[in-house]
Amino acid sequence: MSRFMKRNGLPALVLVAAISTAHAADKVTITFANWATAEGTTRPAIEKVIADFEKAHPDIAIKSESISFSEIARQLALRVRAGNPPDVAQLAGNDTFVLAATGKLEPLDTYVDAGLKSSLKPESTRDLAYQGKLVALPWTLAPAGFWYDKLVMQKAGLDPAKPPKTIDELMSDMAAIRKSQPDVIPLALDTTNRPFALQSNWPWMATFGAAPLGGANARADSPQFKAYLSWMRDLASKRYIDPGRKIGEFRPLAAQDKVAFIWDQVLLQGVIQNAGKMSDADFYKRWGVTTQPAGPSGKSYSFEGGHQLVMFADSQHKKAAWTFIAYLASSPDAIREYTLGPGSSLPPLTKLASKDVASKLDTPIYSAFTERIAATAATPPYGPAFAAAASAIMAGVQQAVTGTEPIDQIASSIQQQLERK
Amino acid sequence: MTASAAAPVPRTAAATPWLDTMTMPAAMVLALVVGYPVVYTLMLSVQDYNLLAATPAHFVGAQNYRRLLDDSTFWQSLGHTAEYTFGSVGIAAVLGLGLALLTEPITGPHARVVRALLLMPWAVPFVVVAFLFRYMYLQNGGAINALLLWSGVIREPIAWLNASSLAMPAVIIANVWAMTPFFFLLMTAALAGIPAEVLESARIDRARTWSLIVDIKLPFLRNALLVSSLLMIIANFNDFAKIWAMTQGGPGYSTTTLVIYVYRQAFETFAFGYASAIGVVWLALLLVFALVYLRALRMQH
Repeated sequence: MSRFMKRNGLPALVLVAAISTAHAADKVTITFANWATAEGTTRPAIEKVIADFEKAHPDIAIKSESISFSEIARQLALRVRAGNPPDVAQLAGNDTFVLAATGKLEPLDTYVDAGLKSSLKPESTRDLAYQGKLVALPWTLAPAGFWYDKLVMQKAGLDPAKPPKTIDELMSDMAAIRKSQPDVIPLALDTTNRPFALQSNWPWMATFGAAPLGGANARADSPQFKAYLSWMRDLASKRYIDPGRKIGEFRPLAAQDKVAFIWDQVLLQGVIQNAGKMSDADFYKRWGVTTQPAGPSGKSYSFEGGHQLVMFADSQHKKAAWTFIAYLASSPDAIREYTLGPGSSLPPLTKLASKDVASKLDTPIYSAFTERIAATAATPPYGPAFAAAASAIMAGVQQAVTGTEPIDQIASSIQQQLERK
Repeated sequence: MTASAAAPVPRTAAATPWLDTMTMPAAMVLALVVGYPVVYTLMLSVQDYNLLAATPAHFVGAQNYRRLLDDSTFWQSLGHTAEYTFGSVGIAAVLGLGLALLTEPITGPHARVVRALLLMPWAVPFVVVAFLFRYMYLQNGGAINALLLWSGVIREPIAWLNASSLAMPAVIIANVWAMTPFFFLLMTAALAGIPAEVLESARIDRARTWSLIVDIKLPFLRNALLVSSLLMIIANFNDFAKIWAMTQGGPGYSTTTLVIYVYRQAFETFAFGYASAIGVVWLALLLVFALVYLRALRMQH
């Protein structure tokens, strides 16, 4: 080693190493449990958002933990009890409240400043409180809408500009579709036995005036709930639905025009376009979305299936965790890349800072969801009781759909099981 | 002193120490990996313990067990477990035995090809088997319905996995397909073990094929059949993956077995106390089969 290096180089290296060590010591790592990186459609987008965030915040590193959508609540509940939760997690629907029930979610009221609060759509946070405290920040909004395939309707001799507005019209349209195209599933409904399926079917129960859970008058053996079960049996006996499939299993069929109507969220557009390499213009020609056909109650309902971000109370880096949460939910880059990206959904903000993001939302589909469908969303009585009841209710729905037992018997059996829980 | 008195005392069962120090490491490992979960499950089964509850677990005595008695879903699950287990094992054992007897006369390279083909389903992972059959059974677009419709056997597609009355038989068929090679393999090996002179003398006595099978071969295969059946009964009693992947216990509760019910109680409603009580009953039933299995093994030796 030369004298110069000995005299100047070594101290310089030591200094650089010391600075690097000090810098590394200042850098915090946030663990982020999510299914966005577990799904092929959304992985590239969320990975880019995370990379952009780390670039903009060099003092924060994000360690993404991929967990599938159907497993995340289970795994997080176990990790909370084991004292090993992540800092931040992506949750949705009842799972948010299952985790809130553990008492280990950090209340976010104090983190949401006036600026962010005023920019959030009021309905986006309305149902995210648990015991009076905001436990989650809305990341995306994704109400379910009644999608209709215009080509299939046309082939059945129906007017594609007039999707069914009532259950009676729906039944008549499905009869025409069944007759003209026997290989097409008239209506795609998720009838699996899982909490998400109850969430998805809740608006259909509601339009019959039924509520098997929540409130003093909620019963599974009510005339309204029996009417809903009878309707479901009618759908199955006429082969208007294909029971047992998850909603995700209908999407590829929808992309092949093998499904006439599908009860799904805004992300369906991305799935169909990706599968069929379809342009926006072609998609709007082929597909439309509207509010749910109203049942005996005369009202249309929907469910909000958007995703939320939660922070765990045991997090050692709450400030950094909040910075990341706020970035995901409100930064124009994150909204452009992820929220409006391949897993398309709606941002929870009233005003968008970026014009190009706002222009992306100016489509017939986004407009239908924002202006008409979102207002019909009715939140089920989420919480641990909902998770416990989901299995009994959906098992009953399946019995009605696939069996021959009298509806009265099925309804009273569900009610008995709900009372035991 | 007589010669007999001077002879060393033979080591008898009574003289054998009940715990050999050499077995201690293995015993400790077993106590940790088997004993601890069992004891902890027993403890949880007498507690009200919900993973989501803010209140700590507390002792409730036999309450969880009393709840079991009134729980119709539990009894249904128990019945379905028996139906699934004995149905699958019974049919697979008969098929495996039949195939072993049918392929026994085949010799040479043909035998290797036939046996390899018959053993292939055993090499397919169970979850793959479940998904394979799930897609074959689909009401719309499933291969089985397509074939039956094409051949004119049916006019409307059948909801194999989505009809309460058909779901369990459909799941059993998938399980039988996956399990039959196991019985075929064991029966083929057992057939090869029958002494040639026994078969030869039967042939000299002009025993007919049927008589050769019933009077000579089957008695030789009895123990192998018993042991393999018990082994498969224990394995099927615990079978989760196939049923979960195909039906998730549905439609309704028509394919819900004990293991599916325990899973739903523990990981969907997070009622660990109640799930543990079901687990204890399940364990007790499995122990009965395990004891019968051990007895059969001793008989075999």
